[in-house]
Amino acid sequence: MADTNPIKQFEVHEVFQFEAFGLNLAFTNSSFFMVLTTLMTIVLFTVAMGSRATVPNRAQSVAEIIYGFVADMLRSTAGSDALRFFPFVFTLFIFILVANMLGMFPYFPAPGWHSFTITSHIIVTAALAMMVWLTVLVYGLFKNGPKFFKLFVPSGVPMYILPFVTLIEIISFISRPISHSVRLFANMLAGHILLKVFAGFIVMLAGALGAAGYLVGILPFAMTLALTALEFLVAFLQAYVFAILTCIYLSDALHPGH
Amino acid sequence: MPINQSCEDNTLSDPSKSDLEALQQRIDAQREARRAKTQDEPRSAWSLGMRYGSEFFAGVFVGSALGFIVDLVAGSGPWGLVIGTMLGFVSGTLNVVRAAKEINSEAGGES
Repeated sequence: MADTNPIKQFEVHEVFQFEAFGLNLAFTNSSFFMVLTTLMTIVLFTVAMGSRATVPNRAQSVAEIIYGFVADMLRSTAGSDALRFFPFVFTLFIFILVANMLGMFPYFPAPGWHSFTITSHIIVTAALAMMVWLTVLVYGLFKNGPKFFKLFVPSGVPMYILPFVTLIEIISFISRPISHSVRLFANMLAGHILLKVFAGFIVMLAGALGAAGYLVGILPFAMTLALTALEFLVAFLQAYVFAILTCIYLSDALHPGH
Repeated sequence: MPINQSCEDNTLSDPSKSDLEALQQRIDAQREARRAKTQDEPRSAWSLGMRYGSEFFAGVFVGSALGFIVDLVAGSGPWGLVIGTMLGFVSGTLNVVRAAKEINSEAGGES
């Protein structure tokens, strides 16, 4: 009987050992998928934009649509001067999108022969969210100087309540990378577990009931099919949400105090 | 021959220009419609709930963590944790209100 453990897909295996300064820096299947995501993006975009035609072919227009999509998103949420962050936001969006899509393969020619969604591990999403948060903090301080702290001191608040409100604003600001990373991680984790649980029902039914099990197994199979479609939507949606929140946070760094 | 051709081009270009403009208008209208659609589309109930949930959770988590750290540093008993958790609840609610405002302004098309 096949293994129906729904969380086996999140296992990290070491592909080859590597140790430096007493730290275990082994190359794992997680690293493999990160490298694959990066390489795939580079190769796909290089091939798509290779011809640089005025009238684009299909591949080139897909690349241009993605480019325009991210640029529009950045311009509408953070203003035209935020376009200096375009490479950063575009990289984040494409990295998460391609990683989520690679995670949708049930089997994959990778270490362990199963696909691995790197965004379903909170350490990865937390690293990405911290990168955004630190960019906002450092760039906001660098560009606005002490005016950046206006973000924590809303105007038009009575004096006696101001320290309280400032404390709450600071907590709210610190909580940003947490909600930013938890959202992506929890969506991917929950969706993939759900998918594997329903797929596991088919195997269990077939094992328990034999031929009748295969017949009844059509029901969880239909569910798996529907959930797969939903997961593709979530994979795109979460990359989009992560990118748009990055834009909103960057807008705070550019224009604190609104 | 070239003169003749350019003359013919000129006579042709007038109607084709207005045609092009009409086409451009149609394209713009389509583009607007599609943009409105794609703005509406990425809003499943699941992702909306996840958004609010994680915003609120993060506020409470950070508030209580800060309170706990204050307790550890100052040795002030459970009071840092208690007050920090309450402040965390407040900032979590604030996060949720902000997220709701953002989503509403995106959906309504006005800021």
